Amino acid sequence: MKPQIILIMLLTSAFAQAGENGTTIKADRLRAAPFSDAATLAALPAGSRVEILKKEGGWFQVKTIKGSGWLRMLSLRVTKKTGSELSGLASLATGRAGTGKIVSTTGIRGLNEEQLKAAKYDEQQVTLVESYTSSRAEAQKFANLAKLKSKQVDYLPAPASGD
Amino acid sequence: MTFKNRVLYIAISTLSLSCAQAFDLGQELRNAAQALPGSGLSGYSAQEEVAIGRQIAGNLLGAAPLVADKKLQKYVNNVGRQVASMSERPDLAWHFGVIESDDINAFAAPGGYIFVTRGLYLRLNNEAELAGVLAHEIGHVIKKHHLNILQQSKMLDLGSQLISRQIDGNEKITKLIGSGAEIVSRSLDKKAEFEADRIGVVLTARAGYDAYGLPAVLQEIGHNSPDDNSVTLLFKTHPHPDARLAQLSLAMDDRFDKLQGLTLAKRFYRIK
Repeated sequence: MKPQIILIMLLTSAFAQAGENGTTIKADRLRAAPFSDAATLAALPAGSRVEILKKEGGWFQVKTIKGSGWLRMLSLRVTKKTGSELSGLASLATGRAGTGKIVSTTGIRGLNEEQLKAAKYDEQQVTLVESYTSSRAEAQKFANLAKLKSKQVDYLPAPASGD
Repeated sequence: MTFKNRVLYIAISTLSLSCAQAFDLGQELRNAAQALPGSGLSGYSAQEEVAIGRQIAGNLLGAAPLVADKKLQKYVNNVGRQVASMSERPDLAWHFGVIESDDINAFAAPGGYIFVTRGLYLRLNNEAELAGVLAHEIGHVIKKHHLNILQQSKMLDLGSQLISRQIDGNEKITKLIGSGAEIVSRSLDKKAEFEADRIGVVLTARAGYDAYGLPAVLQEIGHNSPDDNSVTLLFKTHPHPDARLAQLSLAMDDRFDKLQGLTLAKRFYRIK
């Protein structure tokens, strides 16, 4: 592995977790552990500012003026840390660094409405994408390799107050 | 009123307005009805749906070809197919691809053709996030969201084209989907987007992944300034990520707390 890639990976792990702040978008409890039945440490009103320390599934470990603990990720609106230097570093380290940014310097390739409208059918490309298709069995085998276990989960009803 | 009937009705109105008279009206209408790629308003056959989706996919790929990285494409198909297997259409021949664009976006075409831009792929941190993005698009396909807007918006147009005899069998799909891949840049109802988000988290969790993969991507994308060109189309055609997260928060509540899904950051394929 190239030294630059290792450096980027180190930056990524350091900043992806430390470079973000958040504001609670609703009142929620700060918990001692990333579980809904964990002990409540403090009640946070909507609009509380937090610093994100760590992410774990649907939970963020955060530092608040009422102490540190765990909050549901969906109770937060996440913002990059302000200050141009830090946000520059943080965006450099969010995974775009090694690849996206370099691509961008060679010419940004967008995909706007005009381009989509003017697009011409490409049979070769369709045949190509179809050649990569995985069968159900193949995909199941790939899932097994990572010990992914399928689960019974019901579809979610639309929330009552939703649109 | 069925699709056929509605077209016949449109056809009849068009005809009576133009006072056409010199040909066999009954035969003409039967021909027109047969030329339609759908047998009723309630839906196309699976075969027709795939034919429509294939054309849209080919047009989209004409604008943004596949990233030339076979391992990447195979990886995305393995992940996507497993998630799709958790839906009510597990046996559709699902196709997934990463396309050459710095824009941050993902697209679904009827029949199971799903694409993620390189720009979006580069923002992902793990396999659960990829699964979440693909699952949202799978949601659009299983709910036939794009097919529905095609049926609604093109019906009048199609009816008039059929009657003016400017259409033949080969052209019918092209006439239906409009220019190029325009259809994928069409906004869906925001309810359809919220629905695809809810389906997305459920399919992701069913496959054994961390259900919060999709919300994590939405949070990441939400950082982008609306002035950033790479999200112009995405923000124009979708509710803002903050609104989508708020909806997901209400819908998910604590239902996923007991599920211990995997994120698989180590296995996640990084574009070289």
